[in-house]
Amino acid sequence: MSAQYSDLQLDALRELANVGSGTASTALSAMLGRSVDITVPNAFVLPMAEAVDSIGNPEDDVTGIVLGVFGDMEATVLLLVNPNHAALLCGMLGVPADSEFGESALMEIGNIVGSSYINALAMMTGMEIEPTPPGLATDMLAAIVESVLAQRATGGDVALLLDSDMVVEGEDCSVSFLLVPDQGGVEQLLARLGL
Amino acid sequence: MAETMVRMGELAASASSADVLVSLGLGSCIGLALVDRRTGAAGLAHVVLPASDGHSAGQNPMKFADHAVPELINRVVKLGGRKVKLEAVLVGGASMFAVSSGALEVGQRNEAAVREQLKAHRIPVIAHETGGNRGRTIRVFIADMRVTVREAGGKDSDLVKAQRGLVAA
Repeated sequence: MSAQYSDLQLDALRELANVGSGTASTALSAMLGRSVDITVPNAFVLPMAEAVDSIGNPEDDVTGIVLGVFGDMEATVLLLVNPNHAALLCGMLGVPADSEFGESALMEIGNIVGSSYINALAMMTGMEIEPTPPGLATDMLAAIVESVLAQRATGGDVALLLDSDMVVEGEDCSVSFLLVPDQGGVEQLLARLGL
Repeated sequence: MAETMVRMGELAASASSADVLVSLGLGSCIGLALVDRRTGAAGLAHVVLPASDGHSAGQNPMKFADHAVPELINRVVKLGGRKVKLEAVLVGGASMFAVSSGALEVGQRNEAAVREQLKAHRIPVIAHETGGNRGRTIRVFIADMRVTVREAGGKDSDLVKAQRGLVAA
């Protein structure tokens, strides 16, 4: 089944993403000791084949941090950071980027930001959902994004992407935040909102 | 040269020497190239998942190995490739994230499913670069039947060398 969502449903999903990423940016701000702004979230419904290109240049290097979401809704949280920005984030936390410490610092950012987002979603919808421990890879953007989409692809040909950017104030540093629910997960989310 | 992008769940075939078939940044997906190096017909499929069992209704079947492989064979044969001369090249099937999810990784299952299909159709795998944890780009040059692979930050390297004396279509 290929899912189509109404404008009302997409608005509701966008609002969820707004509250989720607001909570997540507060957590990131506390971790870094800096102000963090968020952009207005987007909710995209795209054919899978087009989803990668909508996120960025397929062969660009990017650092991806993933968390699985399980429970009442199955989904994946994906944070995408340009490697230069990842190095800046490590710097703010006082660890060298090209080291194990750098990687674990980034995974900890993913953990805290992703968990805050998931907890906010759980509070708003009454769902019981929990994140898995994070994983990290720095590679071609397409390879990272398609591996996440493939995991969620059994249910349909369209990908729903809820995305927003967190921008660290006063630095050229931002983190893209994506929530990729599987199709059953989206329906669960909408049902909880009575839509 | 015209590059034809073969994105998730898509496939393409060509016998036109100006064409290059490309899948950029394969992660857990498999880029499957089928080439007939005598006639110069080839195809590329971007396989996302191993099998369609149980949840294929109304979906694009070409994202599944069990549908994509037979369809790719048909497309290449339609362009003049001979089924008995087809050879396969596999790229991708990586596990990008070192998170154990309990079930066997999608990348490994994709590779196994594609190989099983090829075996059933008696098509030999002449080169592969699969598994590991790196993303890869595959290119199939119709002009000389060259197949290349590239990892992030690396250069294109030949998986299948250029053929001499190909009659350009």
